[in-house]
Amino acid sequence: MKALMRALRAMPAMLRVGFAEMVAYRAELVIWILTALTPIIMLLVWDGVAANGPVGGYDRAAFARYFTAGLFVRQLTSSWVVWELNESIRTGTLSPALLKPIHPLAFRAAENVVVLPFRLVVMMPIAVALWLWRPEMGMFIEARALPLCLLSIALAWAMNFLAQTVFGALAFFAEQSLGLFNVWFSLWALLSGYLFPLELLPSWARTIVWYLPFRSMLAVPTEIAAGQLGGAEALLEVGVQAIWVVLFFFAARAMWRAGVRRYEAFGA
Amino acid sequence: MKRLRHVVRATVASFRVAIMMAVQYRASFVAEAVVSVFWLAWTIVPLFVLFRFQRGVAGWSQDEALVVVGFFITLSGVLDAFVDPNLSAVVQHVRQGTLDYVLLKPIDAQLLVSVHRTAPSKLPHVLAGVIVAVIAAARLPRAPGAADLGAAFLLLGAGTAILYSLWTMVVSLSFKFVRVDNLSYLLRTFVDAGRWPTAFYPVVVRFVLTFIVPVGLMTTYPALALRGALSTSGLALALGVALAFFGAARIAWTLAVRRYASASS
Repeated sequence: MKALMRALRAMPAMLRVGFAEMVAYRAELVIWILTALTPIIMLLVWDGVAANGPVGGYDRAAFARYFTAGLFVRQLTSSWVVWELNESIRTGTLSPALLKPIHPLAFRAAENVVVLPFRLVVMMPIAVALWLWRPEMGMFIEARALPLCLLSIALAWAMNFLAQTVFGALAFFAEQSLGLFNVWFSLWALLSGYLFPLELLPSWARTIVWYLPFRSMLAVPTEIAAGQLGGAEALLEVGVQAIWVVLFFFAARAMWRAGVRRYEAFGA
Repeated sequence: MKRLRHVVRATVASFRVAIMMAVQYRASFVAEAVVSVFWLAWTIVPLFVLFRFQRGVAGWSQDEALVVVGFFITLSGVLDAFVDPNLSAVVQHVRQGTLDYVLLKPIDAQLLVSVHRTAPSKLPHVLAGVIVAVIAAARLPRAPGAADLGAAFLLLGAGTAILYSLWTMVVSLSFKFVRVDNLSYLLRTFVDAGRWPTAFYPVVVRFVLTFIVPVGLMTTYPALALRGALSTSGLALALGVALAFFGAARIAWTLAVRRYASASS
């Protein structure tokens, strides 16, 4: 409890440091942001398929809404803690961070959160261009749905951060932890609704996907933002997200504790 | 003639050393093979989802589009196994100043930096791509003739040349801006567009994918050739673009080396 208070008190300072780093490496960050444009490619492809009429309930406007929302959700839920952890564990730079009175992951979280507004700014012109291209997608997010949508994005962000922490902490045990993360990432890309709305899967596959966490990491906030998921159903899905966050939290904590106990700083 | 023999021998030797260095890490090889299976699913499944709803998309049947995906996987594998490891090594050389030693060697520096690293652990990618392409091609309604096959191989070669040229141009930038290694990730995002036949995209995007970042040429054109649907002028166009990119890459490299002032001085 005391540790948590300490982390909270230091939060403004950590956010400032993270912001300064962001400004220092702005060009690099823009490039990183632009590497996540796959939803646009998929939108163009699906748009062509829907030219002759709706596909699985999605017409052109619905596809445009879905993938534009997906573009934003992807940006607002991403972090890079897996690479940072992997690097700092392998090179031993984690050691000084461990000596500080604040949990190293708290700083990583602050650093990843502080760039979110900047990500939004970079996405804006792209969203405007997409809107000019398919104006029929309209203003998709209703003011009423906004609070739930933001909550859902926050939970998805936490899931992503914690999952990356698990794979990052794997570097305490295995050299190949990034390879494992790539497996996780390709599963995520396929089953989270990143490449196609999950509605379009055959029903047996949808059943499998329903029990997996990936959906909660992207499809749920995206569908809420696109106005395709609402009411009691949306509340239920956000509840499922919250359960996943708790599970991921305990997995990440267990992984981290076991790893730090085993850690002997390479070269020290 | 003697010079050429020297170049060939040096190239073969470089490849051998690169492979010997890479096979030291056997566990990594196995891990990569597993990753490539997942990656294969990542590339193929969206195609099957797409064709659940329509038998043909923009004039392409599922099997025909699968040929494109097969070629895409093959070329991505080539990129990961042969092109990328070399060129990221150059970025490191520039940053650390060790490029001096490369430039001093009595052989063309561009050739040397292009063949001295190989990542055999990515070869399963290449194999997987070839298997997908062969299976898909065997299911085409019209068996490809010898001429079609020849054209397809030629175009895949041209595609590899384009990939190599794109990456060389990015690396040439690294002489000036040192921190461009993540630019190759950005390029990869564009290359990703090559997994679908270009006909799936709007006209503007098609133009970009044919002339500016010609990933469409690399995967769609060889597939068209296998279908027997590529005209001679189409073939000439593809080879012309590949040649132009190769030339531009050579110029970019030469300019970059001329301006190189070593990190230590």
